[in-house]
Amino acid sequence: MASQLVSISSTLLYAAFILYLVAMLPLATSIKSKSNKPAKIAITMVVIGFILQVSYFILRWIAQGHAPVSNMYEFITMFAIMIIGGYLITYFYFKTRLFGLFALPVSMLLMAYGSMFSREVEPLIPALQSSWLAIHVITVTLAYGILSMSAVAGLIYLLKAVPADEKSWRARFLEAVMAGIVTVLVFIATTVLMQNVIGYQDDFLYQDKQGQNQIAEYHLPSLVNFEGAVPVEHAGENNYEEAEHFHSGVNLPPLIDSQKLNTVIWSFLLGLIVYGIVRLILRKRIIATLKPWSNRADLNLMDEIGYRSVIIGFPIFALGGIFFAAIWAQIAWSRFWGWDPKETWAFITFMFYTVFLHLRLNRGYEGEKSAWLAIIGFLLILFNLIAINLLVAGLHSYA
Amino acid sequence: MELKEIKCESCGHVNPPGTQLCQSCGNMINSDYDKNKIKDLMRYDGSAVRSKTRSKSIFDKIWIFFTSVKIGVSIILAIAVAAAIGTIFPQEYFIPLGVDPAEYYQENYGTLGYLYYSLGFHNLYSSWWFLVLNGLLALSIIAASIDRGIPLFKSLNKQRVKKHDSFFRRQRLFLNTERPADTSSLIDAFSKKRYKVRKEGDNYLLEKGRLSRYGPYINHTGLIILLFGSMLRFFPGMYVDEIVHINEGETEELPTTEGQYFVRNEAFTLDTYDEEAGEVFDQALSNNRMVISNFQTDITFYKNNSADIVGSSPDLEEIDEYSIRVNHPYRFGDYELYQSSYDNSQLKSMTFRLEDENGNTVGDNFTVNLNDPEESFEVADGVSVNMRAYSPDFLEIDDNGTLVSATPVPRNPAFVFEVADGEESELSLLQIMNSTDITQDNDYSIRFVEAEEHMASVLTLKKDLTIPFIATGFIIFLIGLFTGSYINHRRIWIRTDGNLLLAAHTNKNYFGMKREINEVLESNGLEAVNDKLDDGDKDKNKE
Repeated sequence: MASQLVSISSTLLYAAFILYLVAMLPLATSIKSKSNKPAKIAITMVVIGFILQVSYFILRWIAQGHAPVSNMYEFITMFAIMIIGGYLITYFYFKTRLFGLFALPVSMLLMAYGSMFSREVEPLIPALQSSWLAIHVITVTLAYGILSMSAVAGLIYLLKAVPADEKSWRARFLEAVMAGIVTVLVFIATTVLMQNVIGYQDDFLYQDKQGQNQIAEYHLPSLVNFEGAVPVEHAGENNYEEAEHFHSGVNLPPLIDSQKLNTVIWSFLLGLIVYGIVRLILRKRIIATLKPWSNRADLNLMDEIGYRSVIIGFPIFALGGIFFAAIWAQIAWSRFWGWDPKETWAFITFMFYTVFLHLRLNRGYEGEKSAWLAIIGFLLILFNLIAINLLVAGLHSYA
Repeated sequence: MELKEIKCESCGHVNPPGTQLCQSCGNMINSDYDKNKIKDLMRYDGSAVRSKTRSKSIFDKIWIFFTSVKIGVSIILAIAVAAAIGTIFPQEYFIPLGVDPAEYYQENYGTLGYLYYSLGFHNLYSSWWFLVLNGLLALSIIAASIDRGIPLFKSLNKQRVKKHDSFFRRQRLFLNTERPADTSSLIDAFSKKRYKVRKEGDNYLLEKGRLSRYGPYINHTGLIILLFGSMLRFFPGMYVDEIVHINEGETEELPTTEGQYFVRNEAFTLDTYDEEAGEVFDQALSNNRMVISNFQTDITFYKNNSADIVGSSPDLEEIDEYSIRVNHPYRFGDYELYQSSYDNSQLKSMTFRLEDENGNTVGDNFTVNLNDPEESFEVADGVSVNMRAYSPDFLEIDDNGTLVSATPVPRNPAFVFEVADGEESELSLLQIMNSTDITQDNDYSIRFVEAEEHMASVLTLKKDLTIPFIATGFIIFLIGLFTGSYINHRRIWIRTDGNLLLAAHTNKNYFGMKREINEVLESNGLEAVNDKLDDGDKDKNKE
């Protein structure tokens, strides 16, 4: 029964994703259309999608008995849902049609990225068995969702304000952000293709830092590998026998996770190639291609949305990401603050938005400057959400 | 900049030096301010800010330094960057206990690790310079709050209803239109929107949400209390953080309680999830994956009634029973006891058997209690095993033949046993995985049978009297933050002699304020307000 609920909830999430994808069409039409109809169709689809996502959340909660915010898949999915939530609030307050065209893809990208992680329903380890899990994570992701809106507004602002073919750093940086998005897309596509469709797998036996034998499963041809890694094949149970696998010959000490680095290198290589192909086809910068879409944006309104999202989202972040987090840390780990990497990066995010507000209020950082800061803030959130869990071993490494 | 009081040419009000807008009528009396930084002159209501006015004495210069937003932001960024550096490699308290940090960083992280250690980044958050940065931040917050908060408070408290023409025109939202027959219904409509109305002749001041302007000063006050509270930890008695290691079935005195409290570990439990966890978890728990479901120490809590009597043996009175689990600490007085970890590396006892030259077991097995070993074991009639030497954590045999122990903890025990059967006595040295005869041609040999481990629970004893200060500080901070962010300070000035003049200001969310005003204006048959920002855009589009 509960297992069925889990599979139903996953289906709902999938349906929401498809719905958002389809909604992009009426959303794009609505911008240039004089009639209200496409806009209404689009927003109805997004609202239905959001309801489906909320249903996913509730059903999965019922099925596993704890809030679905306990591993990377659930956490990133929650973030993606909150971005849609943030978008809906923004839409109904400011009634801007253009906004969804940029907010929806960000959410979809995160949903796709989240599904790269293990989607298994897992029981909670003792430290997570607390009602603070739901309270803390839901407030933090809500804050993230709202703060993300400032980055979306910032992106639209910059797309309109920065001349696309300008030979300047600001134009190059903006184009680099686009290239980054292409790389993430390429990473997701390659992973799905190689791991799930083709089923490529090369196993390597290596010794980790503690000298323990480990098996690394490479789903992409090995460009970098662990020092002393031996290509092996799984021979049932816990037995492995030597085999022949492709390997470039580059080996790194066990301090670096060569397997993850291999994926990163592939993503960058392929991302760069795909970006190059896109540029060849377009014959201009990506920002130049997107520019016509942003031209209808009201710059003052985008600046207003960017600022409002920060002043609404920042206090919620301080409440959920610092205060609730500290209460729970006191109960679970006996100290309210311990400079664990995740805590530290939440603190850095907090400090960054403090800087954002002070620069804006007292040093006139409005418009373009404010838009850049909003984008940096979003990158910090992503870094803390994803990179810290994957790169740095700490108390928050649940994935 | 001259340090003279400024008399308003329009209304005659005398303003303190450095004032930009006359504090009575709002006329611009001094346009000497940095227009790039101050986008909204109304932010401090055009009042005189000390750091922008005086710059002569050394005190003035120090004051300018600490009140500067540029300096404040730099300090915040410096703290953030330092905090980030601290996460490159683990801090010292995250590396394994008892390891030499100098070696650990070099070995695990190479030259960079060595550099990290040498620069003291392995203890970054308690380093003197990190504390100094936080101290500078506190000074900056205090100075900046006093510098801007006080003039703002005075200005808002003393504000006049009647404003100069130029004041009206300077506001972002402005309307100059034909006066309607009935202005009172307009004012009523605003007061229904919860505006407080003040009237002076034909002049009106409508205001709401003034508290919003004080939000930043409330939250800064909270931060100062928080920073002060975090310094209190350095005072003795404010903070206790101790590890309590208790073997199952044993009672230990709680450190720092002056012998007042004792805890007995009745049982330590470590549970893992099994099939009963529910079928949804079947997949996650397949392939023999172990997921721990519970760490628990059942304790009995005692008070020592003879704690005050020096040298007396403890007189324990049972006070309480509790099951300490992760997320469920046990509280008593100012203290809390947390489940931290467990330790099963200590041996409790070892059991041996005696074998004769033919390999047959002689008599019964004997068990050595490693914490308090007996001296002699009667194995069979007339055959006894005597312990001649014992080392709980064997290191080496020293020159005079005694066993040297590395620690008193039984982790790696070694024994010298004597087997006596009435005829002769044989000596042999027993270590884990090894046995050596000391006397020649031994007939008997002692064989290891089994070992039993201690199950010890590791608890954290915590007392932190700084928490009330830090929590209060943060709650005040949050209240200030929400006040400043979620409430909007909105003011509307209306003049009804001649035309209807209307000007409006808010500290943020002009979008919402415009909507609110236009709703009221529309219901009174008036045209919508002009937004200077929109007009500016239109002009640009024309160009």
